Formats: sequence, structure tokens, C-alpha cells
Amino acid sequence: MEKRTGVYICTGCGIGEAIASAALTRIATEEYKVPVCKEHPFLCSSEGQALLRGDLEAAGLTTLVIAACSPRVMTDVFRFGPDKIVERVNLREQVVWSHPPNDEDTQMLAEDQLRMGIVRAREAEPPTPFLAEDLSRRILVVGGGLAGMTAATEAAKAGYEVVLVECSDRLGGYLKEVFKLPPSHPPYDELQDFDLNSLTQELDARPEITTYLGAQIRAISGAPCMFDVQISQNGREALERVGAIVLASGSVPYNPEQLAQLGYGKAADVVTMPQLEAMFAAGRVVRPSTGQPVTSVAFILCAGSRNPAHLPYCSAACCVESLKQARCFKESDPALPVYVFYKDLRAAGNYEFLYKRLQQDGVVFVRGTVTDVQEDGAGGLVVMADDVLTGSAMVSESVDLVVLATGMVPTTTFGEAFKAQAPKEGEEAQAVPPDTVLVSHILNLQYRQGPELPALQYGFPDSHFICFPYESRRTGIYPAGSVRAPMDYARCLTDATGAALKAIQCVEMVSRGRAVHPRAGDESYPEFFMQRCTQCKRCTEECPFGAINEDEKANPLPNPTRCRRCGVCMGACPERIISFRNYSVPMIGNMIKSIHVPDEYEEKPRLLVLACENDAYPALDLAGIRRLTYNPWVRFIQVRCLGSINLVWIADALSKGIDGILLLGCKHGEDYQCHFIKGSELATIRMTKIQETLNRLVLESDRVRVEQVSLADHDRLPEILDSFANRVQELGPNPYKGY
Amino acid sequence: MELKNVSLEMRDYIVEMGAETINWCMQCGLCTNLCPWRLFPGETSQRFNIRHMQRLGQMGMEGFEEEIALFACSTCRMCQTNCPRGVKIIENVRALRSSIVGGGMVPPHLRPTLGSAHAHGNPWSGPREKRTAWQEGLNIPPFGPETEYFLFVCCHSCYDGRSIKIAKSLVALLQHAGVSFGVIGPEESCCGESMRKLGDEELFQKLAQSNIQLFNRRGVQKIITTSPHCLWTFVNEYPELGGDWEVVHYTTLLNQLRQEGRLTLGREHDKRVAFHDPCYLGRHSSIFEAPRELLADVVRGEPVVLEREREASLCCAGGGGRIWAEVPVGERFGEMRIKDALAAGADVLATSCPYCVNMLTDACKSLEQQDSLAIVELSELLVSALPGKA
Repeated sequence: MEKRTGVYICTGCGIGEAIASAALTRIATEEYKVPVCKEHPFLCSSEGQALLRGDLEAAGLTTLVIAACSPRVMTDVFRFGPDKIVERVNLREQVVWSHPPNDEDTQMLAEDQLRMGIVRAREAEPPTPFLAEDLSRRILVVGGGLAGMTAATEAAKAGYEVVLVECSDRLGGYLKEVFKLPPSHPPYDELQDFDLNSLTQELDARPEITTYLGAQIRAISGAPCMFDVQISQNGREALERVGAIVLASGSVPYNPEQLAQLGYGKAADVVTMPQLEAMFAAGRVVRPSTGQPVTSVAFILCAGSRNPAHLPYCSAACCVESLKQARCFKESDPALPVYVFYKDLRAAGNYEFLYKRLQQDGVVFVRGTVTDVQEDGAGGLVVMADDVLTGSAMVSESVDLVVLATGMVPTTTFGEAFKAQAPKEGEEAQAVPPDTVLVSHILNLQYRQGPELPALQYGFPDSHFICFPYESRRTGIYPAGSVRAPMDYARCLTDATGAALKAIQCVEMVSRGRAVHPRAGDESYPEFFMQRCTQCKRCTEECPFGAINEDEKANPLPNPTRCRRCGVCMGACPERIISFRNYSVPMIGNMIKSIHVPDEYEEKPRLLVLACENDAYPALDLAGIRRLTYNPWVRFIQVRCLGSINLVWIADALSKGIDGILLLGCKHGEDYQCHFIKGSELATIRMTKIQETLNRLVLESDRVRVEQVSLADHDRLPEILDSFANRVQELGPNPYKGY
Repeated sequence: MELKNVSLEMRDYIVEMGAETINWCMQCGLCTNLCPWRLFPGETSQRFNIRHMQRLGQMGMEGFEEEIALFACSTCRMCQTNCPRGVKIIENVRALRSSIVGGGMVPPHLRPTLGSAHAHGNPWSGPREKRTAWQEGLNIPPFGPETEYFLFVCCHSCYDGRSIKIAKSLVALLQHAGVSFGVIGPEESCCGESMRKLGDEELFQKLAQSNIQLFNRRGVQKIITTSPHCLWTFVNEYPELGGDWEVVHYTTLLNQLRQEGRLTLGREHDKRVAFHDPCYLGRHSSIFEAPRELLADVVRGEPVVLEREREASLCCAGGGGRIWAEVPVGERFGEMRIKDALAAGADVLATSCPYCVNMLTDACKSLEQQDSLAIVELSELLVSALPGKA
């Protein structure tokens, strides 16, 4: 495309007072020969905008370089249509606000940032969105329990077609055997009736929803807006094309056979909470041993929960379920003795009113550890516990029934770990942190990386993104309800609604060729120059989102709508065949080469700082906003993710004479912040690999450093940047300077 | 550790005795931490844990009847005022004590007290016929159909030498203000407030019924009390038994008279006076301002404000039957109160409850601070500020 570039330098916000803008103009017009270069004191004002729009029209500009404030602000102001390239050069937060004014080094920093911005603009092309044929906006909901039914209904109400697949012969899930619900409106101390039939009928009445009962998903292939779902139902096969998927396959109660030490299996009158609920629902609450009505009961909470030997986690809903069942007993007979043995009573928010009510009803609450459930010799059971509140061992009176409040286990945990295809003979295995994928036969995704969503902590498919619930590690697939995390009925409703919204957002974005979270709206996508591919499989292995399949010859088969545009594949490829229209290996390489590197006698080192757009770059901006100052040797390049950093950039930087390279990215590890899951971790691993190469080139490995920062660490940035500068100065100038 | 058994029958019995809210308790422990016993060393403080006691009661477990703990509570209401569940903790203590005392198991140190109240109508072993001996020479009219107020004097102020001064001071003030008041006579019995708190429900009923019949027969409609304890039981417990009158503590009445101009207090004291809020006047009956306003009239300069005042006032340990307990020096609540007053720079510690005066005077003496701090009842301070009095 024939490009005409205009460079606009804003001198507002203190920029004009701190640097010589005339020098910048000379760089633009003389070094880079841009046809238009202007200054303006207040570029984001209506006059400034009028200037830009006027020039775009009059001078036929296709590309604008705005040297002003951070690219993270004024994005609505400096936007001129999808066919224009706009490159922002950060002269404010990262130059004049964090360095002394009218200083030679500050000036050199500003000039290099401008050079890099002009080069970046020159290399970028406006993206054209990926739009395949026959895109679907339908939503698949897997699982017809409370979460699935709610997600289906909410999506249908919003006007979307829904395909609902349920493996049993009736909708309802856990609700099928639920008697009453906990309180959900003031005064929050009365149990809720509900009618599953009317819920089901309401769903069935919606023409948008196609329901498959007694059905299983054989396979799902494709990608968002292009999922092909094979459903088998009673021996018949059906094919549906959908745009996004809500996974609502729910959870099952923990297996009580493991709880012999609480009497399960040993005494007939020890039952689980779901078993008791089913008795209530059937209208017959009797002792299993005699068939006689229950006249006294003891609940044991946390039965097999919060215990490393059973379920290590809390299942969130069982405390309130037990209170609900205790209330059922008290409703039927106020004098019936009820015990609740607990470690903690998790009746949060308005459920506190239910707890208070039960105390007033005379339920005996015992806090402590249950040590035994014994037969009392007269046909009843007694519960023994170490009571924290009296500091002594205690024993209850004899009860007819002991109820174990067991936790919930997500359906995604029932399966063996999937093994990814082993690397080809002769190739070394990648030290890529693997995702655990359990073959639970729920979604049966035809993905190279495995047939289900990666299971994280405790086997739940939650992505554990702090800021982004409902996201999973597979684009377009949103877990909701108790399969995602242990939760109660009320939370299931909001969870399902949220996931339905995410699914709708996905189909709307993708059907316009745009990415979803976190680069929402991005129309670029990675393109593969297959002629030079060596089938090394690094991209397919390392993609955090399983976006790349593989053919029988190990050639990567990218699925652009599964892609989150992070560029990890671009960073991984040793042949550098992957690129985006507006983000590529040569682009950044040329930006690095445009930095002016003084010779070693000037004693002005140069440090390349590659900062990821999610946490590191904003932290740098915030440091500037707070006027924290640091050394002027740094040269910043914003990257999408540290995982997108191709090792050739390190080589380019070193051979250019740059003295040190600092990678600033988001935290990885258990409590990770990396918005692309594995990017900063991959970068760290790759950098350890090049230590060897550096040592062979007689370059100190300390010249390349990876640091994890979060937005809250912005006040540490001067220390991070300055201590790196000090170390590099200790090492001395890069011996390759001037070559 | 011995195994404790739950007994729902025992729990239900305790609830029937009056601990209706004992099941509301969620065992947060705020009560135990606010209890004044936490401030003192010694065996009682170690054994008495109000949260734990209620827990045993909630489960009907053995152990709550341990004497040193069960009878340690002075019913000061610090716990109940702050309980997040609104548990009526004092009622629960009363009910727990009731289940023991009702069964005939009275702690030895309380037997003379309860026995005397049964036999003589007062807990001080004073002969009934001597109840009104303090009135000699004061020309107090008998209560009749035309009399507005019945003056009910606490047993302590009828029989105890120091306390009698309170009664006499009040009579002088009422006469000076021209209030229409009268007394009934030796047929009056103890109000029974402390007896009920000790768990002797039968004795309380007997005393209350005797008083109610007597007062109603005489046509009593309004009562002035000298003690906040009498005030409290007449207001909160007597109505449901048939004794429904308009009851005021003398500080409320005198303050009202002062505001109406019927009580002029002339002389001004120039000592530094601090006011100690009695538990049964302050936390129990929410009367904080009347005594302060009266003091402000008779004391020159700013009042000395104790750090622990109003709802946070520190109990003197007279209530709940504690006035009859033998407490070692160093474990007496009053001693800390004396220290509070001295630390705040007071010369005089004024209060308006006969039990408080008793306990604080006692504590002051045992700390040998009688020369640094005078313990005065409010009525005494006011009487000495009447015009013409020395």
C-alpha cells in the first residue's frame, strides 16, 4: 500500500518545555523524509483534532505518528478509521515526566522513541479482519442443570439461538432431587419453594432453544463461530454448527464411600446430604435401618472437605444446604432435636438470617472436630467431637440419623491425563509448562492440545484470571456453574448469566473478525509463511490457547478465531515465519536497529526495555504520572506479551551494540497475572536458553534480564531500571558497538 | 479430658427458668472480653468466662454450676449492652443460678443474706420493726391518699450507718423543694432485685407480692427510689406481677425540680468532682444526664471526666449479689475505680447508688486513699449546697 506518513508532535503537558521539538521535526523530515511534520501545543483539543483530520484529507495521509502522550490514553481521540495506521510515540509519561527537562540525555531518549515510532508506523499495515464462510452466532450449552438452563434461557431472551445438550433424560441436574431452596428474599429466614416443571416448561416454550436430552457430544471441531458439534442421541447422530460454548456440566457429590470413619457404610443410618434431600423431595424421611420416621438428627459439616486426604477445598454451598435441611426438620416438628457439627459455618451475607433463625429454633451448634460416629447400643447413633467452645471432648445425645454434608466434585475431573503428541525423534522436548487436560469425555474437542478445557486447581476448568472470571484457556468456551467453581444456587444463576453474556460477546466479536479478551476488538491475526516452516512444532506446543492444530506431517494449522493475538507463536518460531499485519519480527527488529547507539567513549550506555502491554507498560506510565525518575539510557518498546519476543531481537540488539536488554512482564507462577497465561513464563524459559549462546559469544549473560512487575509495583520501577543500568555499566560497554 | 454429655432436657429446663435467649448466642466471645473480670487477677477471674458459661448452658452440660464462676457475675450489663446478637445475658445468668438455687443449692456465703430477706424483709439481718428508725425526728409524713410520691428507701439506707445519710439528705432536699411525699412503714420489704439476680425466684416472688399488695392497698401511684436497683426492678419486673406505677430515681426528679425552679441550689463547691455512673442507673436505665446536670449546678468549674464513663463505666462490683461476697484485696473492682478517679485528678468521687457508695468507700480505705479522695453520694453533695447549709 502506498503510504503517506504525517508526524505530529504535541508540545502540551510539559513536553514543549522539556525537549527541543525542532530537533524532533528534523529527524522526521530529514532522517525519515516524512512528507508532513507539524507541531501543535494541544493536539487532543478540538483544534488539534481538526488539524489532523484536515491533513488526512488534504494531504492524503494514510499513516499518522502522534508523538504525545501514552498510547493508553486518548484512544478515542486519535482514531481515524480502520484503514489508517496510527502510531503513538510516548513522549510524555515515559520521557518528559520521568526525566529531567532540557537535558541532553532526555533529548536523545525522545529522539530515539520518535525514530522507533516512525519505523513501526512504516512497517505496519492496517489489519483486515479474518472472516470465514458460514459463521454461526448460535450458542451451545453443555449440561441442562440450573446453570445450563439459565444460560440457555438468558441467551434465548437476548435473541440468540441455543443448542442445549443434556446427558440424562430430563432437564434439571441436581435440582431434580431438591426439595426446597435456601432463602432468597427478605427476611431471608424462610425456605423457598420452587417448581422445576415450570422452569423446564418455560425453557421448552422458547423457540430459540433446541434441546437434546439423553444425548452426548461425540466431537467438537473448529473454532469460535465455526464450531461443528457432533451429537449422538439414542443411536442417532446430529450435527450442529455453533459460535460459542457454555460448559455447564456441573458437579457430582463427593463419593461417601471414602467416609467410613464418619460411619458411612458401617451404620445404615449415616446418609449424605444429597441422599437426605432426595428423601425430602420424595416426601418420605425415614431411617434406612428401620423405615421409621426420623425423630432426631445430627449434621456433620465439612465431611470429607477441607482435608488433604479427601477434597482439599471448601465446596461453598454445603453449610447453607445443611442449614436448609435443618430448617426443613424444624418446620415439620419444632421440638425435633437437631445438631449441627461444624468447623466453620459459612453462611455469608443474608444467609446469616437463616443461621440466626435456626439458633432461635433451638438447633444445637457444635464447633469442633468430629472424632467418631458410634452406635449407642440401643439402635441409635451418637456423635463424638472435640468441642472448641467448651475446650473438651463431648458426645451428643442419641440420634436417629446422621447426615454427612459432602462437597462437590466437578464433572471435568473424571478422566486420565491427556498426553500431548510426543516430539519427533531427534528433537528435544520443549520445557513448556504443560496444562493438565483430563479426558472427561464432555466436550471432546478435536484440538491438538487435548479434548477438554485445561483443568487447573483441584480439576476445575477456571482459568484463575484474577480480573476475568468465566474465561477459560480455550477461546469461545466458557465454564459456568458448579463445574467452574463450587457454588450455591443463587451464584449459579448469576454465573450462568455471565457466561451467556461472554458467549454472546464472543460470537458478536468473532463474526466481525475481531478478537475477544484481552485484546478485545483486535482485527489482526497471525499469518504463517508455510514455505519456510520446518515443522518444529514450537508454535503448536507453546500456544497457550490451543489455537493451532497440526496435520499428519506436523505442519501447524492455525485457527484464527481461537487465537487471542498474543504473538507467543511469533516469539517461538525460530524461522520467523509467523507475523501479524501490524506486529512482526522484522518490525521490532527494525525498530531496534533505528536506535542511535553512541560509541563507547561517550559513556552513554543503551538499554533496550521490552515491556508487555498488560502490566509492565502501564506500570511505566504510572511511574511517569507519579513523576518518578530513572536513568535516561532506557529505550522502550511495547510488546503484546513477553511470550511474543523472538530471540532474534536479542541478537539484533546485541549486534547493534546495545549494552543490555530488560524484559518487563507480568507475574507468572501459581498466582499468575500474565494475561496470556504463559507468556512471561515462556520468555523466562527462553532467556535461560540463550544464556549459553551469550556465553559462547563472550557476552555476559547478565546483559539480558527478565523482571516481573505488576501495576502495583510501579514505585519500584526506578530501582529496577537503575539497578539494571548499574549492573550493565559494571560489565562495561558491549564489545560489538560500532560494528 | 473428661467427656461432657449434652443434655437437651437440662437445656430446656434452663430456658424455662428464664434463659430464653441463650440459644441466640453465637459464641463470638465479645462478652468475655468486655467483662470487668478481665481486668483483675486471681482465681475468680480465671474461672469466670461468661461465654463459656453460656455455652455450657446452651448444651445442658455439667460445669456451669461451679460456684466460684456462677456467682461471680455482678450483672453490670457491659456484655449485654454490646452483644451483637442481643442475647439477654443477665437473664441467662439469673436462669442458670435459678436452676441451682431453686434446687436448694445455695452457696454458703449467701445463706444468711437470703435467710434474712425471708425472715426480716431485708438482706442485712436488721429487725423489721427497726426499718424506719432512721426517720426519727425528720417529720416525714406518712403516705396517704393525698400524697403525690411514695418514697421507697433501699434497705441498705435504712440499716447501714453510712448509707442512712443518703436517705436523710434526700428527705431534706425533697422537703426543701416542697415535694409532696410520704413513707409507709416497717411493712415495706426489700424490692428483691438482688435476690432475683441471685436465683432465688421464690423469695423474689414473695417479696414482690408483699410489696405490690401493700403499695396498691395504700393507693401508691408514683414512687421515688434512692437506689437504681430498686428503680430497675420496679420498672422492669414488677409490672407483669401487678405492680404498675410511675417510678423515678431521685436524680431524675430533683433535676426536673431544678429545671422548674422549685429546687434552687445555692452554694458552689470548688472541689474537683468526678461522677461515677452506677451500672443500674446508667447502662441498665439509660440515665446519664440528670446527675451530671445536678452536679454542674453545685460544682464550680469543669467536671472531672473519668475515662470509663457512661456506657463504659466500670462496675463497683456491688450488683448481682456481689456486695455480699468476700473478695481479696487486688481483685476488687472498686479499687480500679478509685485509681481511675485519682488518675483523672479528682478530689471527690460522686455517685448515686448506695451499693456504689459502699463498695467505693471500702475500696478507697483498703487503698489508704481516704485523705486524697472523698466518696460522696450525690444527694449529700446537693444537700450541702442548699442555701443556708454549712
